[in-house]
Amino acid sequence: MAAVAGRVYPAVQFDIEPDRVAEFARSIGADPKDGVPPTFAAVYSLGATAPQLFTDDEAAVDFSHLLHAEQEFEFQRHPRPGETVTSQGRVASDTSRRGMRFVSFETDTTDRGGAPVCKSRALFVIRS
Amino acid sequence: MRERRVTFTHQQIATYAEASGDRNPIHLDDGFARSVGLPGVIAHGMLQMGLLGTVASEAAGGPEHVTRLAVRFAGMVVPGDTVIFKAEPAGDGRLELSATNQKGEAVLTKAVGEYR
Repeated sequence: MAAVAGRVYPAVQFDIEPDRVAEFARSIGADPKDGVPPTFAAVYSLGATAPQLFTDDEAAVDFSHLLHAEQEFEFQRHPRPGETVTSQGRVASDTSRRGMRFVSFETDTTDRGGAPVCKSRALFVIRS
Repeated sequence: MRERRVTFTHQQIATYAEASGDRNPIHLDDGFARSVGLPGVIAHGMLQMGLLGTVASEAAGGPEHVTRLAVRFAGMVVPGDTVIFKAEPAGDGRLELSATNQKGEAVLTKAVGEYR
């Protein structure tokens, strides 16, 4: 396996589609009328960028042995339905110990004007 | 305090997989899940965090007030498990958060919630 700490992936644009937000809200027991659920960031921030890590041949993440161990979202504000945000992921750290690999993956989501919206920090553990 | 008691089902996990776009077969296919050493399909950690985020949003006065959410995914949740998600304002813009299963085990730990 290759350690890929510091790797930065290309920024990804994501449209905050109202129907998608509503479907997501219902799936976590929230009322879509209340607004964008905080953890919709799992879609527009983490979800928009983590596939780049998972499909990176050099990162060689064994997806079938991957566990999502920790997650943090920090919000400057929440996106509005109908707006387009930009998310960029990077590998903050990549270490191995006792047969386990620990990958810290951070994503910064910004709005059209470049202002911060959300920061996602995910810790993935890959069992060998 | 906001509280929600949720008994997880295959259908609910499949619905979350569609809504979130996370269609990892460990959440959808019992046979595949067993082949990688799991007891069968497991709920997404992010589905658990999402449900906790829903009660946190209610306790904060609306999702737009939530400024931070963090958890450690400490325990597997499988169909048939019942988890109680709780959120309560704890002063200074902090939320006291918990997610406990029917055995009294915390399935989410180190939970942090902040709002303004």
